[in-house]
Amino acid sequence: MDPQMMVELGALTLVGGAALIAGVAEDLESDVGSQSNPNSQVQLAPQMGYLHRLYNKAISGEPASYPFYAAIGASTALAVLSVTNNYSLIGVFFALVAGAFITSLIHGVYATTSYMGRIASQSRFGQPVYLDVLRTHTPVLMAHGFVANFSVLLLTWVLIEQNLSPFPFVVLAFIWGIALGGVGSAVGDVHLGTDRYYQDRPYGSGVNAAHSGSVVRKAESGLRNSIDCAWFCSKFGGPLTGLGFGLVVYLHFWKEVVVKGWWSPVAGVIMVIIFIVMNVYLESYSRKRYGTYKEESE
Amino acid sequence: MAEGDRSPGSLLGIGVIGGLIGIYLANYLNMVTGTAWFSFIAALGAILAVFWGADAVRRVASYGLGTGVPSIGLLSIGAGQIAVLLGLAIGKFAGLELADPIIALILAAIVGIVNGVMARRVIKMNIAIMERSMTEIAMAASIILLGFSTAIAGSFAFDQIMAYVVASGFIIMVFIVGGMAMLHPFNACLGPDERQKRTLNLALSTGFLAMLVSGIAAGAINGVPAAVPTLIVAIVGWIIYYMRFWADTKQDAAAMLSTGLIPKEEEVMT
Amino acid sequence: MMFDILLLVYIVLGGIFIGAGVHFIPVGGAPAAMSQATGVGTGTTMLAAASGLTGLIGAGSAYAVSGGDFAYTIVLGGVSAALMISILAFIANVMYVYGAGVPLSSAKIKYDPITKWRQDLYVSRGTEGHGTPMVSFISGIIGALIAGIGGALVFFALAETYNKIGGFAATFQSYPAPYYIALAAAFSIGIFFLNCVMASYNIGGTIEGFHDPKFRRIPKSVAASFVVSLVGGLFALLILPMLTGGF
Repeated sequence: MDPQMMVELGALTLVGGAALIAGVAEDLESDVGSQSNPNSQVQLAPQMGYLHRLYNKAISGEPASYPFYAAIGASTALAVLSVTNNYSLIGVFFALVAGAFITSLIHGVYATTSYMGRIASQSRFGQPVYLDVLRTHTPVLMAHGFVANFSVLLLTWVLIEQNLSPFPFVVLAFIWGIALGGVGSAVGDVHLGTDRYYQDRPYGSGVNAAHSGSVVRKAESGLRNSIDCAWFCSKFGGPLTGLGFGLVVYLHFWKEVVVKGWWSPVAGVIMVIIFIVMNVYLESYSRKRYGTYKEESE
Repeated sequence: MAEGDRSPGSLLGIGVIGGLIGIYLANYLNMVTGTAWFSFIAALGAILAVFWGADAVRRVASYGLGTGVPSIGLLSIGAGQIAVLLGLAIGKFAGLELADPIIALILAAIVGIVNGVMARRVIKMNIAIMERSMTEIAMAASIILLGFSTAIAGSFAFDQIMAYVVASGFIIMVFIVGGMAMLHPFNACLGPDERQKRTLNLALSTGFLAMLVSGIAAGAINGVPAAVPTLIVAIVGWIIYYMRFWADTKQDAAAMLSTGLIPKEEEVMT
Repeated sequence: MMFDILLLVYIVLGGIFIGAGVHFIPVGGAPAAMSQATGVGTGTTMLAAASGLTGLIGAGSAYAVSGGDFAYTIVLGGVSAALMISILAFIANVMYVYGAGVPLSSAKIKYDPITKWRQDLYVSRGTEGHGTPMVSFISGIIGALIAGIGGALVFFALAETYNKIGGFAATFQSYPAPYYIALAAAFSIGIFFLNCVMASYNIGGTIEGFHDPKFRRIPKSVAASFVVSLVGGLFALLILPMLTGGF
């Protein structure tokens, strides 16, 4: 094995690990903020007469807000590196930390504006703005956002440093932000939306559309808040999102680093076929294991 | 249709005239003094365009687009991006850099009209103001992109923008930060009791945040001293408009409690 | 120097591919997160962008590695996007089965056309299906493949054009990205958004794949994408004659 490939494989491992952490943190951050898809339920609840103490963070969907954070973070890191001109390991590390830090501040500001804005626009339903919700939740989601964003910047930097992508740093971070947001909203949100928000409904079925908006508002003790939701989703939704984004990034570059030339698309096609086969197995398993909801009528 | 104190026409005037003045002033003051200290004026121009664009987004998105508010902002900023760079290239070709922002604005209007006609006539979206809104948002997007790019590069000449804003990838940062500044205010204030004044104060506040980020990016290009005026103006402006947004929220919200249980049904006044 | 007309054709074709590809991708939108609708739970625009732009990363690497080989760029762009969505939909299905405890099903069809499995009995009350069953899964992979190929076509055409401009091989500071790649990438993202937002307006909410009745709206999207990417592509390509001193 040639030394160049050894270095690239090492970089690939680092990138995959960073992507995994980014995915976990991203999903938990969106659970604290009730962002993206389950946000529709939190938004609808006061209208249905269910006032709540959940956060309502509508910085557009996750796939639009994560590239936003990543682009700010990457630009800041680039600016810090240009000014300090220190491209040593520690210099780059602190530049990425600075990028993620500035981003988390802006993230926090955007989060507060959407919580206040959305709830003030529902005043006719009597939903109050709780300042303690704002005070306790905003730092939590900023912290999760910091971890997610730092990981995205780290993986992007490693890719640029190893010449695995010809794109500029900011552009690559932006695209990985979209991919991260896409995975986060497709995977992790299901755990929050189907299970955690409707824990009083029977498990093992979709949420009846007639029950939309009747989110759980009482907790094991006291009232349900969104930090509880992140605790719950950290058991399955978060790690699975991390696995998803880690696989996306890792397999994407695996097929370009380990196999070269025309074998890359061939390897890609083989992986797609493997996922199709696994999906067939998963679908047949779910049908056999869970059975039908209705009796056969004909 | 969303009503408000400020008419669409007056906002269009503020956005176009204010935006262009800001961009021109920044470019020529920088050129005359040979520094990059006046770049912040271009960002102020871009903030006026954010103000206008946010209202245009508000008007069209209050019809319900079917795919959420962000889509129209991203579409228009994509259109604006192509228009701006072609506009600058035409200016360079014709030796008429003076006209760059105006050419970019006209090209953005053309792309915007095409997009609007396609959305309304071909895809048959049932929104009467679709063409006008798409045109307005694309034009606002072009001023936002050009304003923040000028604030980063210190000039709107094609070579500078290309070398400092596009090659470094900052163009994508301006793309999403400027787009978000424009589409976030209405998205964040979505609801039956949305009010124009609150939304637009939020637009100014997000605009100043975008200015802050472009100030940081300007530090990479023209050095820290050139970025300082932009950063100071951005932070001061952001504090002012964030406080105004806070005051508006306090006025509009059903209640603003420091803590408390969920109100009982009989306590809720409807 | 006039731009190559063939490259404009590539951009228009790429735009149409992006717009058409979006229609194949199973999108459940917000209801999918509550297991109320079949498909992957994200907005149409952003799901297409997430997979298509991952394809663009693949196309970018392929373009740089192969020194501008057309077939390699296009194929790797398409396959990368398809791989992304197959992982995404599969992991989301794991979430539905093991996290929410629901079987994968669709209410719009009685039998899955690919596996021939009965669907309607497996749909829980008050929902339109949940998860991404086989037909939608395959449809999504086809859609991402098409959209990824479209994005790669646009990127290839732009990179080939800007490649010819003198001085565009320079880079920003010591970073490896040359000007022409940076400009082509930025414009590809712009044109990608133009087309996939148009397509998502055409869909208007959720779609399950090629078996969905909404799929028949595809000609309108193709027409809109044709015009939008013709104008966008023309504007983007006109930068070449402007910078090289006329037509």
